[in-house]
Amino acid sequence: MSPAEIEILSTSFAVAWRALVFSLPFAIAIAFFLSRPSTPGRLILDGITHLPLILPPVLVGFLLLMMFGRRGPVGALLEQWFGVHLAFTTAGAALATAVMSFPLLVRSIRLAFEATDLRLFEAAAVLRAGPWDRFVSIALPLAGPGIVAGAVTAFAASMGEFGAVITFAANIPGQTQTLPLAIYTVLQQPGGEAEATRLAVMSFVVAMLGLVAAEFLQRRARKRLLG
Amino acid sequence: MSLLQAHLRLDQGGFVLDAAFTAPAGITALFGPSGAGKSTLLSALAGLKRNAGSVMLNGRDVGRLPAHQRGFGMVFQEARLFPHLTAGQNLAYAHRRAPGSKLAPADVASFFDISGLLHRPVGNLSGGEKSRVALARALVSAPDFLLLDEPFAALDGPRRRAFIEVLLAAHRQFRIPMLVVSHSIDDAAALASHLVALKAGRVVAQGAFAATALTPEFQALLDPRDIGTALAPRLLQGARQNEAQKEPQGLWLRADQVLLATQPPQYLSARNIIEGQIEALSEEVDGSVLVRLATEATPLLARLTPDAVRELQLGQRKTAWAVIKAHAV
Repeated sequence: MSPAEIEILSTSFAVAWRALVFSLPFAIAIAFFLSRPSTPGRLILDGITHLPLILPPVLVGFLLLMMFGRRGPVGALLEQWFGVHLAFTTAGAALATAVMSFPLLVRSIRLAFEATDLRLFEAAAVLRAGPWDRFVSIALPLAGPGIVAGAVTAFAASMGEFGAVITFAANIPGQTQTLPLAIYTVLQQPGGEAEATRLAVMSFVVAMLGLVAAEFLQRRARKRLLG
Repeated sequence: MSLLQAHLRLDQGGFVLDAAFTAPAGITALFGPSGAGKSTLLSALAGLKRNAGSVMLNGRDVGRLPAHQRGFGMVFQEARLFPHLTAGQNLAYAHRRAPGSKLAPADVASFFDISGLLHRPVGNLSGGEKSRVALARALVSAPDFLLLDEPFAALDGPRRRAFIEVLLAAHRQFRIPMLVVSHSIDDAAALASHLVALKAGRVVAQGAFAATALTPEFQALLDPRDIGTALAPRLLQGARQNEAQKEPQGLWLRADQVLLATQPPQYLSARNIIEGQIEALSEEVDGSVLVRLATEATPLLARLTPDAVRELQLGQRKTAWAVIKAHAV
C-alpha cells in the first residue's frame, strides 16, 4: 500500500471508530427503550431513529450543516462554549457517519434486547434489583452478543459512508477523505480506474472482515454468556 | 395478627381480579381452579402487575411501591434463573442486593444440597435442580414474605414430593412466611396451615386450612373425585410421618378413600379405624351419598352408594366407624 492509501485507510478507521464510540451509548439507550412495549411515544422515536435510512444522505449532510455549521444553532453554541468546529473536520465526518449508521446500530441492538426473556426482569425485580440495576445486570449482559455484532457491523458500514460526509465534512485528504470519498476523487481524474479498483478491493476486504468478525464475536460472546 | 393483608383490584382485558385476603406467618395455600387468577394475584401482590387496592405487609403499606422495594420474594413456575450466570452467581446476585440478609449463599446451598452445582451454568441443570436453585436464590434475598407460583408444576411425582419436603424443611429452618399457589389439593394440604380459595378473581373462602377446606364454598371448587377433608398426619398410623422434618402439614383424605362400618370392625388390615357420629348425609349429582362423620379430632367425609346407605340404615346422629387405609393417602 502506498502512503496515500495508508492515510486514506487510517482516516477511514479514525472516522468510523469515533462515530461508533460517539453513537454506541445513545444507540444502546434508544434500542432498549424501543424494545420495551411500554415506552411512551415509541412509534415517534422509532421513526426519528430510522430517518437517516430513508432520507437522501446528501440531505442528512445538509441538515447537519444547517445545525452544526458555524452559523447553525448548535454549531454556534459549540464554538462559543467549547471552541469546537465540526463542519469540515474529522470529528464532523465522524458525526455525519454516526448519524447515518445509527439506524443500523439501533436495529441490531434492539433485536438483541427484544430476544431477552422479559420474565427475567421480573425475577430480578423481586430480588430487589431496581430499574437501572436490572438494565446493567440483566439486559446489557444478555444483549451483549447482539451489541458486539451490531457495533462491528455498523463500524464496517461506517467505512463506506459517502453522501452525508462529503456534504457536511467535505473531501479533505488526511482529515475527512475516507475510502469512498477517495474512490470518488480518483474516478474524477483521467486514468484513475486502476487506483479506484485498488481502493475498491480495500473497501471490500474491510467490509468482509467486519461482517466475519461480527459473526465470530457474536458466537463467541453467546457461547461465553450462555454456555 | 395477620402478617399480610391485601385487597387487590385489577382489570386485565375483561378478567377482573377483586380479591381481599389475609395471610398469617406460616404457609398459606392459594388454591383455585385454572383461570381463577392465582398467578395474576401473586404478580399483583409482588408489584409486577399494576393494580388498585392495598397491600399491608408487617404493618407497612407497600401497595404503591415498585416491586424491588416491596419486600416480597418470588419463586416462579419456571425457575427463571439468569442464564448468563452460574448457579452460584445466581445466589450471589440475590445476596448482594439483600445487605441485611443473614442467610449466606453457602449455607443455603448446603441446606438445599446444591453446593456441588454452584459452579455450573444454569443451562446444564435438571428441572429439579433448577427449582431448588430458584428457591435457594429467593431465600438468600431474605424476603419478608415469599410467594411461590406453583414451583413444582414442572416436576413429576417423586421429585414433586421431594420438593415439597424441601420447602417445608426450609420454612421450618428459615422461618420465612410463604404464600404458595397450587391447584393440587394434595400439595396444598401437605404444605399449608392456612387456606385462601380463589374463584373467578374473587376470594370465596379463607382461614385455617382444615376448617376452610370443609366449607361448601371450598368443596364446590374441587373436582368431585377430590372432595374430602384435611387431617393431621399424626391422626393416622403409618402415613408419611417417619421423620419430623419431613412431616407434611396435612394429608388430604378423599371421601372415596373412607369406608364406613356400623359396628366396630375387626380382623381388618387397615390400621386406622376412627369412631364418630354421623352429622349429615347429602346426595351428590352423580347419585352417590356423602356422609359427614364428626370424630373427636376432625370431621371426615365418606362417599357411599345409596344402596350401602340403605342397607346400613345410616342416619343422622348414628354412630359409625371410618376405616382408612393409610397408604391411600
